[in-house]
Amino acid sequence: MATADPADAVFAALSDGTRRSLYATLGERGEATATDLARGLPVSRQAVQKHLGTLAAAGLVATRRSGREVLYRPTPGPMSEALEWMAEVGAQWDDRLAALERQLARRRHQGASGLSHRTGA
Amino acid sequence: MDELVERELTVPESVEEVWRSLAEPEWLGEDAAIELREAGAVRAGERGGFVEEVDAPRRLVFWWSAPDEEATRVELDLDETDTGTHIRVTESRPLAILDGRDLAIEFGAWGGGAGPVASAGGMLAGARR
Repeated sequence: MATADPADAVFAALSDGTRRSLYATLGERGEATATDLARGLPVSRQAVQKHLGTLAAAGLVATRRSGREVLYRPTPGPMSEALEWMAEVGAQWDDRLAALERQLARRRHQGASGLSHRTGA
Repeated sequence: MDELVERELTVPESVEEVWRSLAEPEWLGEDAAIELREAGAVRAGERGGFVEEVDAPRRLVFWWSAPDEEATRVELDLDETDTGTHIRVTESRPLAILDGRDLAIEFGAWGGGAGPVASAGGMLAGARR
């Protein structure tokens, strides 16, 4: 995937439901083979391997060889960079919009008790 | 594809009333201020930035950044509904490479609105719709 921003590859890789669930399963298990992962899913081992390749290209999973097996494990780095930012900024806007709502409500009450000016509603 | 955060809120006030509240931005954080004009200053605590676009009372776009952080672009859109105002805010970091202060200086030099940064931002915003 020839994208300048690693976050693009991350989001593209995680735009697919099967890949998200594979990534989540790897997160729970720590390490697994494609055969292990395919067992819990309604897809073939080949399909799982292809999805793991996409996750690996995005830097989300790493591989290591153990005898005849290839073991996949999650690498949280690129995921956390993009998603931590979104989680943090999202939480900040939740707070700010809650504050805006309070500010508007305060003004509404002041308006009602002070001036007898009301917009018809 | 930008990293993007989107939040929505519906309040019973009219679009004009919500817009007036945006101009008194205690809600934006401690020690906050927004000059509601193109290239106007934006400040909220240690964050600083500038206004890219103002279309009163419906749309406000500004850039800001905290010290040592990437500049991000904030879009606030107000839409009239049957019961009040729908507020939509999106924050994105489309130009993660650029430092916020450099951006503000360059934007200032172009006199607001017509600079390449503003165009790039507009294109990115447009591409999402």
